Amino acid sequence: MTSKKVILTGSFGVGKTSLFNQFIHQNFSDKYLTTIGVKVNKKTLSIKDEEVSLLIWDIAGEVTQDKVPTSYFLGASGIIYVLDLSRPITFENIDSDIAFLRKLLPGGVLKVVANKKDLLTAAEIENTIAQIKVPVDVVTSAKTGENVIELFKELGEELI
Amino acid sequence: MGQTNYRSEDDYALERLKDILLRNDRSELDELRSILHDQKKLSEKVSPIIETHLEFLKENFASEYKVIINKLIDKKLKTSEQELLDLIYPSLGKMISKYVTLQMSTLKESIENSVKSKFSFGRSMKSFFTGVKESDLIIKDAVVSTIEEVYVVQRDSGILIANASNQDSMDRDVVAGMLTAIKSFVEDAFNKDSQDLEMIEYGSYKIIIQSYYSFYIAIAISGAISASERSELAKKLDAFAETQMKKFIGKFEDSEEVLSKLLREVFIDK
Repeated sequence: MTSKKVILTGSFGVGKTSLFNQFIHQNFSDKYLTTIGVKVNKKTLSIKDEEVSLLIWDIAGEVTQDKVPTSYFLGASGIIYVLDLSRPITFENIDSDIAFLRKLLPGGVLKVVANKKDLLTAAEIENTIAQIKVPVDVVTSAKTGENVIELFKELGEELI
Repeated sequence: MGQTNYRSEDDYALERLKDILLRNDRSELDELRSILHDQKKLSEKVSPIIETHLEFLKENFASEYKVIINKLIDKKLKTSEQELLDLIYPSLGKMISKYVTLQMSTLKESIENSVKSKFSFGRSMKSFFTGVKESDLIIKDAVVSTIEEVYVVQRDSGILIANASNQDSMDRDVVAGMLTAIKSFVEDAFNKDSQDLEMIEYGSYKIIIQSYYSFYIAIAISGAISASERSELAKKLDAFAETQMKKFIGKFEDSEEVLSKLLREVFIDK
């Protein structure tokens, strides 16, 4: 079985832990509990007849990525960068953050995820995505679970 | 008018009668008034009564006021828990320190007695050949330490390479990941000159960590471990890394089963 380390990162309050909980435990809580340090969990996916174990590191949110301890990213195969569609402040620094992460992990798979789509209308989502300075890979709702499994499966497929 | 005189005479007679009947009472009342208004006299009368009651209370306070005191203590504990803890904490620390010192003295005494009374040829020979002090061997016999779990983990990613365990614990991949996260955090936060986290301790449980270039080995131990035992374990880990692990460098992903078996043989079932 192949094991891959995946980092969930982004600004605080964007829904990293909610995506993590939705993917691992299929649940969602409205309560906001800030992540202290890092939380690690595992989920095994079956991709193209192969078992892939994703070791997901849910990292405490930081306004900019250079504030995150770099050792957390070491050995990671994938990075999921999460932003909150309803709070523009969470993607203000996205271009410098993505450049920083690509430099830190040149060979890693990076996914830009726009979360909390349940809070906006389809037109608002389209309008907001147009303002984001880097291409968004997946639009999710950790609350309803929309596109969450798909996000991790897509990542798993790219990792093997 | 005649009626009035009659009443006055009647009153007069009544007053006389009162004088006759209440003379003694009135004089006693006057005396009591004089005592009550004179502090010295009052003190002379009351003090013996108070003293007697105080004597009684000295003997019977707990039984007389037990229920009230218990209620007050309960109330105080509920309302000022933190305050009470702050007051008790320094004394508690001293008590614990005293208890630990006492237990250490007992242990020392037991070891000294063991040395004096039980000469062990086997232990002496073991000490001679291994170079481990006989006193360390005695301590080892007195306080047993057990290797509960061994993890070999990829140093950067925290991905588990192999493990062996004496017990059922949570998902080993998650343990390895969290252990690496803690290690990374400590090394990032406090590292001044490229040092590694070497031990995590909680209660009587210790996790000894030995880091190598691409992996690290973490050993969870229950019970006390002496300095010489620890040094012995470090040598054993180095030998394992040098003779066994180097065979698997670059192919960790396919070596979990073989390595886990080796770990069990070398560290758990030794």
